Amino acid sequence: MDYSMEDTQNSAPEAQQASKLNTSGQKGDTHNVTKRLQSELMQLMVSPSPGISAFPDADGNLLSWTATITGPTETPYENLRLKLSFAFPNNYPYSPPTVLFKTPIYHPNVDFSGRICLDILKDKWSAVYNVSTVLLSLQSLLGEPNNASPLNAQAAELWDSDQAEFKRHVLARHQDLDEE
Amino acid sequence: MNPLSHDEMERFQKLSNTYEPDVQGPLVSNKQSSHSIALDYSNADSTLATKTNALAVTHPECRIMKGDGNCGWRAVAFGYFETLFALRDTIRIEAEIQRMKSLTALLEQVGLSDSIYEIFVDTTEDVLNQTHAAILGGAQDESFLVETFNEGYTSEAIITHFRLLTSAWLKINSSRYQAFLNMPLESYCATRIDPVKTEIDEIGLQALVDCVIDGSGFGVEILYLDRSQGDVVTPHQLSSNRPNDATIRLLYRPGHYDILYPANNHLNMAPIVNLQYEMTSDYSPWDQSALGFDVNSSLMAIPNLMQDPSFGMGAPMSPMPSVSPTPASPFRMSPQQDVYSPPMHSSPMHSSPMQTHAIPSIPISSPPAQLAPPSAAPPPMTSLPSRSSEGPQIRLNPLVMKPNLSRSLPVSPPFKK
Repeated sequence: MDYSMEDTQNSAPEAQQASKLNTSGQKGDTHNVTKRLQSELMQLMVSPSPGISAFPDADGNLLSWTATITGPTETPYENLRLKLSFAFPNNYPYSPPTVLFKTPIYHPNVDFSGRICLDILKDKWSAVYNVSTVLLSLQSLLGEPNNASPLNAQAAELWDSDQAEFKRHVLARHQDLDEE
Repeated sequence: MNPLSHDEMERFQKLSNTYEPDVQGPLVSNKQSSHSIALDYSNADSTLATKTNALAVTHPECRIMKGDGNCGWRAVAFGYFETLFALRDTIRIEAEIQRMKSLTALLEQVGLSDSIYEIFVDTTEDVLNQTHAAILGGAQDESFLVETFNEGYTSEAIITHFRLLTSAWLKINSSRYQAFLNMPLESYCATRIDPVKTEIDEIGLQALVDCVIDGSGFGVEILYLDRSQGDVVTPHQLSSNRPNDATIRLLYRPGHYDILYPANNHLNMAPIVNLQYEMTSDYSPWDQSALGFDVNSSLMAIPNLMQDPSFGMGAPMSPMPSVSPTPASPFRMSPQQDVYSPPMHSSPMHSSPMQTHAIPSIPISSPPAQLAPPSAAPPPMTSLPSRSSEGPQIRLNPLVMKPNLSRSLPVSPPFKK
């Protein structure tokens, strides 16, 4: 997995520095990430938001989750169920998770590999964001694409010129994933 | 001009996206000589060279922050904890723990849930408790804080806590700051304060000081190093408080912040005073010839001092309590320090002459009631152990007896800890 945003602080080759950090530093980090993710999971289960859900993958690795969002009403994605994968870096929440659409999707800010162009998942990431806020942001991105910086230029053009044709492309590309 | 192929463009875009500047060094360095900064500029513009050379004299030590986008936040946060530790006042730390807890109300006010901010607030509290424990445990220096701040997760958590407080403070006091911003305050916070590794700017720094630091009573001063006219860096006071012994001093070079330590502050730090005593188990009487001046004419004026062979034992094991209690300005250089303090001012109870010298302003500013007149009868010394008893004894370091020491000493390595 390619964590392009991964924190250099933890990976920088500073032998001298690394030796100074006691060995519990690394353990402590994992512990902190786990603690934070458990708290997020609890939050999602106690007070679920309509149209979004997320759960850690069955492999017991809390650092990778699968999430689902439902397309908002009155958008071309209405009632579509879209699956996403979350991969959390070791220094989460100080670096953003890597989020990909697993369900094929036709959208101006998503490429055909499912990669997403959204500022809060890149340079505008803040440690106050969490799985739930990311999913809500993505849900609103479905209805309001950022056509100024498209990953899929054709989709951006079509969104502006022909909504009916756009929706036809969305439905043609969509493919429900089997439950794993 | 050859347009790049689509593949090449994509490759470059990917490289650009994943680019991270190769910044070396720890997140927070140990204290080092400010001459290293002067060296950086020795071949640069002459204004910068002049200013950095002057800086190395007025602020002989510095602490370099890693330039990873958090340096300004980190410098203030580290400076806050370090200043708190240097005061060695556990009551004050307890008050700070309470104050930090109360600031959490700001986070609630802007709608953050405790499940989000909890880990950040807890980390700050942990490190405050750690500082409290270090003082009680008699930690020699602030190296525990340097270690803590070099643990990525702890460091990030404290910085995030300070970012969130600043962001909330800005939103709650928007009328005070909006006029200085060229965008709506909400988007300013979302793009310039909240995101991880976003460099602090002037408005952010002011808000951070107003929200987090001002309540502690600490001062914050920035020294700007730029090519503006003048021979010295331009100082700017960010806080309403300006206590000499509890001021965080930042060096600003465009895009980067480090911490500076002025010359006189260094001399008066508690641990330095402590070094003027030497613990030893093989006590040998003073060697008058090792001293650069006639000790007797001065010391004989202290009643009973030289008669008692164990006079050195009269000094408290740790001089710290007598140094730390007044946070105001007793440590500022005063004219009295230019000459060796007349021992006449010393109370017989304070029979150690080096203490008289180390904190000359204390006896002078003490209430007269504590000062016995020089002619008073010497207090009984029977409670003092004889020098032949077991245990460590204190021997005077001849160097500290030297007049004008405060002028000649500030950075000589043997006195650095």
